[in-house]
Amino acid sequence: MSYKIPMGPYHPALEEPYKLDLVCEGETVTAAKLHVGFNFRNIEHLAETRNHIQVIALLERVCGICSNVHTMTLCQAMEGLCGQTPPPRARYIRTIVAELERLHSHVLWAGVAAKLMGFKTMFMTCFEVREQVMDVLQAISGNRVNYAMNRIGGVNRDIEDPQSILKMVEVLERGMVSTIIPIFTSSTTALSRCIGVGVLSKEKALSCGVVGPVARASGLAQDIRRAAPYAAYEELEFDVPVQPDGDVKARLLVRALEIMESCKIIRQALTKLPPGEINNGDGKPAFITGTSTSRLEGPRGEVIYSVSWEEGSNNPSRVHVRTPTFANMPAIRWMVIGARLADTPLIQASIDPCYSCTDR
Amino acid sequence: MTASATTLLEGIPEKLGSATSWEEKGGALWLTLEARNVRQLATVMNEIKARFLTATAYQPAGQESAYIEYHWDCEGQLLGFRFPLPGRSIDSIYDLCEAADWVEREIHEGFDFEFPGREYEPLKLRQGDTMGVTLREEVK
Repeated sequence: MSYKIPMGPYHPALEEPYKLDLVCEGETVTAAKLHVGFNFRNIEHLAETRNHIQVIALLERVCGICSNVHTMTLCQAMEGLCGQTPPPRARYIRTIVAELERLHSHVLWAGVAAKLMGFKTMFMTCFEVREQVMDVLQAISGNRVNYAMNRIGGVNRDIEDPQSILKMVEVLERGMVSTIIPIFTSSTTALSRCIGVGVLSKEKALSCGVVGPVARASGLAQDIRRAAPYAAYEELEFDVPVQPDGDVKARLLVRALEIMESCKIIRQALTKLPPGEINNGDGKPAFITGTSTSRLEGPRGEVIYSVSWEEGSNNPSRVHVRTPTFANMPAIRWMVIGARLADTPLIQASIDPCYSCTDR
Repeated sequence: MTASATTLLEGIPEKLGSATSWEEKGGALWLTLEARNVRQLATVMNEIKARFLTATAYQPAGQESAYIEYHWDCEGQLLGFRFPLPGRSIDSIYDLCEAADWVEREIHEGFDFEFPGREYEPLKLRQGDTMGVTLREEVK
């Protein structure tokens, strides 16, 4: 006999409100329907009422985890409309902050996943390490959530003492290597909950258009940092981890390996940080009429901004945001089919969903 | 752009009946097409294994004119396709491109554009009877 089980919009397994209507045969999920929109704020429309400075502060609030990636993508798009190129030092600082954001996002996700596995000690360990990443971000920007680092033509704050930041990064890298990575890649407790669970095949991943770690865990080697480099990525060495299995374990491994790659990128960028200006000054940018599209590889995957402007206008005429979770969430319907009901909280969490971003 | 992407993209304007060629601007290669060609575009994009990214609806403030832009990725090259929509309607590509499902629903709810050939379920808006309004005007 089949029966329906609603999960959400307010549920202990969900970090933010959304709803999964599950159809089960016994303990096995046979179908699922997703409902979003509980956080809908119509930020895209609000953006049309803000000038080129205010719009950055507004779009930084799309997400509380990957706030930097939103302002960076927006600024890159606006730079395309006013012909500005950030100076080399600014490009490196943008890269460092983007990778620190990836680090704290992935470690936060690892903590949430550990909690859903019933591995509460690991949850506390992850959040302790994440605090160290937040400390580094605070040392650079003065802020812990919305860093206000990006502006048109560069960044707002310099990294005045890269060596001290490098030391902090080395400490947190040791924390990752000694605890988080080994536990998530070898612990029977962790892996037994993940192997063969929530599989998304390569074909389905392609068809759904999933992005970021979800795509790379299904065997798709797509990463905008490599395919269409921006900021300083073209000048830095890093690998793009790909796993073929498409299950929760593969998503976990991809993120664990990406943590190591992020540390590698940050170390290189701090060491090679070029001298010079961090932005192009305070002059008002001269926007031309047109549309500019910008893409970045955020912690959860590819973020896309399309920004349109009319010459002489103070405000953008259109700002469209395609967040990675918007692309990844529909795939949950396929991941949960055939899964045990008890695994669905972990499966939905394995895409590292952000409903705030999705609903924007 | 990779050499194989260049080869893949060469014949596409002609295939889609476009009188113009690719135009590079704003970080993408662009083609402007007529609305009746959108399903043909989705088929061609599937053939070259391009990855659907998003669609963006536009209705300039105070103007009747509207248009929609689709983006695909071909081996790291961003592609943009612009469709003027005098009738605020363009065929759905959802059956050809599963990844377009949510964005079509979102545009229908927020801009009142129609995508004939599909059924809508509420995505962002919770009440069915408010679907298909122009939120930009309602929010003013």
